[in-house]
Amino acid sequence: MILVKDVHKRYQTEHGPGKWVLQGVSFTIPPRVSVGLVGCNGAGKSTLLRLIGGVDVPSRGVIERRCRVSWPMGFGGGLQGSLTGRQNAKFVSRIHGHDLDIPDCLAYVQDFAELGEAFDEPVKTYSSGMKSRLQFALSLAFDFDVYISDEVTSAGDASFRAKAAAAFKGLADRAGLIMVSHDEGTLRQFCSAGIWLDGGRAHWFDAIEDALQAYRGNLAA
Amino acid sequence: MDSTRSSASVTLSVWNGLFLREASVRVSGARAAWLWLLLEPIAHLTILMVIFSTVRKQLMPGIDFALFLAIGILGFDLFRHSAMRSMAAISANLALFAYRQVKAVDVVLVRAFLEGVIQLFVGLVMLSGMALFGFDVLPGDPLTVLCVLALFWILGTGVGLMLSVGSTLIPELGRVASLCFMPLYFLSGVLFSPAMLPPEFREWLLLNPLMQGLELLRSAFAPGYPAVTGLHLDYLMAFAALALFFGLALHVRFRARLVMQ
Repeated sequence: MILVKDVHKRYQTEHGPGKWVLQGVSFTIPPRVSVGLVGCNGAGKSTLLRLIGGVDVPSRGVIERRCRVSWPMGFGGGLQGSLTGRQNAKFVSRIHGHDLDIPDCLAYVQDFAELGEAFDEPVKTYSSGMKSRLQFALSLAFDFDVYISDEVTSAGDASFRAKAAAAFKGLADRAGLIMVSHDEGTLRQFCSAGIWLDGGRAHWFDAIEDALQAYRGNLAA
Repeated sequence: MDSTRSSASVTLSVWNGLFLREASVRVSGARAAWLWLLLEPIAHLTILMVIFSTVRKQLMPGIDFALFLAIGILGFDLFRHSAMRSMAAISANLALFAYRQVKAVDVVLVRAFLEGVIQLFVGLVMLSGMALFGFDVLPGDPLTVLCVLALFWILGTGVGLMLSVGSTLIPELGRVASLCFMPLYFLSGVLFSPAMLPPEFREWLLLNPLMQGLELLRSAFAPGYPAVTGLHLDYLMAFAALALFFGLALHVRFRARLVMQ
């Protein structure tokens, strides 16, 4: 369960405080509900994901995570270029408290990411597709109650996308998912509920279809 | 439904992960990185020895001149490396703040700790090497030696904590701080003893806690070393405690601004 209460967010710019990105966003995500976030570019979708993931803090308001929430997958962070994929995976296992089953985690990541020998090469030599494979495999290696995905399913080649989609489907009965995607098909495939972000406010819809409709209606108007 | 870990266990596992990661980068990151860690202070000492033995044939009473310089270099480097490496910790680990478990203060503290361990190890190797060449490197008062070294390390950590916040919020501050370490090296008496100075300068220079610490360190190593009077371990201790306090306080105050990208 994730509670978002009256969250405001604005970023500090070089010329003082910037404009408000989120203005009074409140909603509750019940356990094991998959939510799709829609809104036009710059509406604050990634900002909201970062806030829910705890990477950034709201300027005002509170976010309570009453479960294990993953880090926001897919915005390229979280991997250190000079270290190998294996070293990065070990580090992530350790900070998530899996010191003792590192071999299992490594085996899973290696198997899922299918990087081959590149797993032991520095991450800075990876292509962006390989990086997202590694990130995606990393987040699936741990049992979270809610996974946060920022366009991550659009990464990689066709076969990996199919594999990632299957893995996400498999999670659905034990974990929730909060995802941003500009592909309506992806949202329909994975999400049941939807949030439409517009003008710094969030509108909750119990059905993703309604959220998409509200979003499209606003675009047409 | 609440299956989350406690804050303390999260922090401990973050420190564990960060330490192993930083250590593997520092010791095996570049080609023979571990060798350079040792070569740097040894080269420093050798160059100074060559210069001083040709330019000035002065002998330091009560202590071997090589040991005098070695103690100064090791003590000052412990402070300098702890402070400088911690200062750069936040910008070097920005990618890691994608995991909310990792806080800015974690990466700084872990780096400072690692640097302390490395410098201690470097010092041990260097002094053992000097012992093989026949220098008397065993300290006469080991407890004071340990105390001063620990305080140098805490002072370096505190300064590093403050500078890491300062240089993240105001990048120019980082450049100025790096520039300041050079004059500090000369003002801390790595190359000379305050006993050589005229009294009116000596009083002012002894306000520098690093100079007091180095002088205490030398007299603890060699009991016959004529240290100047008016040295106080408490003085260094107060500086170390204040630096650590303000460093941590700054991290608490600006914890949200530090991880913003």
